[in-house]
Amino acid sequence: MDLVSLFITSFIVNNIIFMQFLGACPFLGVSKKIDTAAGMGIAVIFVITLASIITFIIYHTILVTFELEYLQTIVFILIIAALVQFVEMFLKKSAPGLYQALGIFLPLITTNCAVLGVAINNIIYEYEFIESLVYSVGTSAGFLLAIVLFAGVRDKVDYADLPDSLKGSAISLITAGLMSVAFLGFSGLQL
Amino acid sequence: MNKLQIFNNGVTKENPILVQQVGMCATLAITTSLLNGIGMGVAVIAVLTGSNIVISLLRKFIPDEVRIPAFIIVIAAFTTIIDLLMHAYTFELYKALGVFIPLIVVNCIILARAEAFASKNSLSDSIIDGLGMGVGYLVAMILLSSIREILGNGTILGFRILPEAYEPMMMAVQPPGAFILLGLLIGIVNYVSRSKKA
Amino acid sequence: MKNNFVKLVSILFIIAAVSAGILAWLNDTTKDIIAQNEAMASMDPAILEAVMPGSVMFYDFEDTALIDTVKAENNKIINLMTAVDASDNELGKVVRTWSTVKGFNGDMELYVGFTSDGQISGVSVISHQETSGVGSKTAEPAFTEQFIGKDASSEISYSDYDAVTGATYSSESFLSAVNNAIKVYSDYLK
Repeated sequence: MDLVSLFITSFIVNNIIFMQFLGACPFLGVSKKIDTAAGMGIAVIFVITLASIITFIIYHTILVTFELEYLQTIVFILIIAALVQFVEMFLKKSAPGLYQALGIFLPLITTNCAVLGVAINNIIYEYEFIESLVYSVGTSAGFLLAIVLFAGVRDKVDYADLPDSLKGSAISLITAGLMSVAFLGFSGLQL
Repeated sequence: MNKLQIFNNGVTKENPILVQQVGMCATLAITTSLLNGIGMGVAVIAVLTGSNIVISLLRKFIPDEVRIPAFIIVIAAFTTIIDLLMHAYTFELYKALGVFIPLIVVNCIILARAEAFASKNSLSDSIIDGLGMGVGYLVAMILLSSIREILGNGTILGFRILPEAYEPMMMAVQPPGAFILLGLLIGIVNYVSRSKKA
Repeated sequence: MKNNFVKLVSILFIIAAVSAGILAWLNDTTKDIIAQNEAMASMDPAILEAVMPGSVMFYDFEDTALIDTVKAENNKIINLMTAVDASDNELGKVVRTWSTVKGFNGDMELYVGFTSDGQISGVSVISHQETSGVGSKTAEPAFTEQFIGKDASSEISYSDYDAVTGATYSSESFLSAVNNAIKVYSDYLK
């Protein structure tokens, strides 16, 4: 598969939220306003891309060399947690404006399974370095797309006259399901 | 709270999926058949109870400043243990659940219970809490995965229960079905708990 | 302050080290089973069935010294295996070997299965470079199945089987591999 189709596949066809369900928690929790949704999405792109690069390098240089592949889960989650802390500290000092915008989302990202999921998938799919980079950027861009689209729809849903029991996450899930139907249509794309 | 209340709290009042709505990724992704749902539920019970036990035992030993990384290491260790055991002894289930086994480590419910309960309560209470929350998770998985397998395949645990003439509703086992059916399930749970209160 | 930092780090380190130790032990105990599972999943059921009907897996011989001895003496031999059924009962031996006579374009690689009473249980071609549509017919069941049930106490001669028409070299190469397996079987595995 060439890189362009890998990007489109991971961006839209296998959309991380609507097709793979990774990162469903922040997707349902944060996406109430388009601005905050976009902020979260951008923070996720940033962290997923960085985390994939670092986990990829550590896996192939350290874990494989010393036959420690079984420590993958522990090592990856610690890298991600440390990375998120580090990015937070860095942004606070050097880019206060960006920190204002993204800061509140960063702690949430450690337990965003999309980050760990992408890092692990890079290993499972046996991607080369460049492929894993394209896959990470495509997938996380897919997260941004999904969360922003969803926030837009949810804005309107809030005004709808719903049965009380469906209010909140129930209708959010149903809405996400209907959007997922639309994304299912992309699986017909010939790449 | 007595032991029964702690257990019951996890299964019903604070059910991780149906009420708290955390740890949704795996819930949505692997509930395409009842067997997968049960497998995932049992794996989560094991990790949740195991990490609750260890964290409760270590609660006086772990300083407050580093508790989150310490919890993450313990949870990741238990996740890897389950990962290795399933890879060795339940190979087909392992392949079916795939990436969602290592992802148990980021299932928010486990870190949340470590932080909110096990690090503050006695060993026996923490075990009950882990089992209760885990069983609550399992119950939700069983409900959703049975519905999806019946609608999408006409079978339950692989046995045909709907007549051959039943045209399987493919949508139920595809991604949209996961979202919509879980949404409806939560709606029904809301409705039932509301009418109980009223 | 500094002391505290050292304490925090060492506590984290202890927790991480104990976890890693437990995982290392568990990884060690499950490693072989996992490798076996993966190998089993990668085996083509059609090949298993063709070589040893009813088998679910071929295991490498536990006696690796024997494999080394045979390989040292017979450089065409790739591996010696035991075929087992779903409940882990041994069904027979399997020899994986190259042909000793070149085919039209090179060596062929075969699995040859032997039942415990010394008959060929089946043969399957793993790789070959023979001409598609002519020599490649030696890899098809219509050709390979004629070896099933042949007695493995002596080599099979040219008169004992029907070569593929127009593919003499390929047929001879195939036969040489089967005979090589028979030789190893009667020398070491009976």
